[in-house]
Amino acid sequence: MTMKAATASFAVSCLASSGKGVKALQRETELNRFLADVEKRALRIAEISIRDRDEALDLVQDAMIRLARSYADRPADEWTPLFYRILQNRIRDWQRRQSVRNRVMVWFGRSDEDNDYDPVAAAPDPAGRTPEQALETREAMATLEEALGELPARQREAFMLRNFEGLDVAGTALAMGCGEGSVKTHYSRAVHKLREILGEHWQ
Amino acid sequence: MKESIDKQADEALVERARDLFDESVAGLDAETRSRLNQSRQQAVAEIGRGRPVWIRWSPVFGATAAAVVAVVLLTGTPPMDLAEAPASASDLDLLLDEESLEMLEDLEFYSWIELEESAGPEGPENHVG
Repeated sequence: MTMKAATASFAVSCLASSGKGVKALQRETELNRFLADVEKRALRIAEISIRDRDEALDLVQDAMIRLARSYADRPADEWTPLFYRILQNRIRDWQRRQSVRNRVMVWFGRSDEDNDYDPVAAAPDPAGRTPEQALETREAMATLEEALGELPARQREAFMLRNFEGLDVAGTALAMGCGEGSVKTHYSRAVHKLREILGEHWQ
Repeated sequence: MKESIDKQADEALVERARDLFDESVAGLDAETRSRLNQSRQQAVAEIGRGRPVWIRWSPVFGATAAAVVAVVLLTGTPPMDLAEAPASASDLDLLLDEESLEMLEDLEFYSWIELEESAGPEGPENHVG
């Protein structure tokens, strides 16, 4: 190989590798934007499910890392259902562990003091409202969270993914790992049950 | 008629729930936002790290295998006889062996012997004095 040919080959190789770098950088930027867009809603959804903000933050972080490690190269429009699939699995695992922990605590005659969750106290103050309005909003949200807590887990998942995250039926089915028919059934039952619990006056 | 009222009530509930949820998201405190931001940065730094090693290196393995196959197909023979490989693992072992290093230190001595042999009876020692 002549010197010129070697130089040309090296230049082509450099261009190829720099092209790869630009692509990876673009992917990083896209994923960062996606996570920034979804993280706050994801946190609140996790928090409503497990009623503990610190634990919810950990679960959201786990889900973010898992998505980045395993699915960053998937098309960006698949990220939302994939992310929520991972998050819902984390939430279910956490609830199972918590359930076992609570049973053990009961067995040893101890109550779980950490479980005294006060949604009104934990709810943040929305900006630009009078204290009365803020209190009213917090109380309404706390009532809603309590009502959501009374739903079976699958109904709550369907309601929050469809209504809070805005996923369509297909995306919710992917996130929940079930069929679209099941999503429709869970969602419909969730709305019906919430109306029963909250009553007409809540609206 | 009742179905229509039910549907309206459902829609009202859903809308109210969504508004409340959105307000609670908008009202997240600075500390929580900061922690989310840190988690996101950490996640982005982890892109692609979860894949098994063989998948991460598969393009390299694939390219190497393709190159070997191409050479074999073009020349009709393997690119190199393994017996003639210039630096195998055993060669490296020999090079890194302590005895080999001692031999390298004695190079000056072996050089002297060679010089003496090539000089024959009138070798270097005969020139002494």
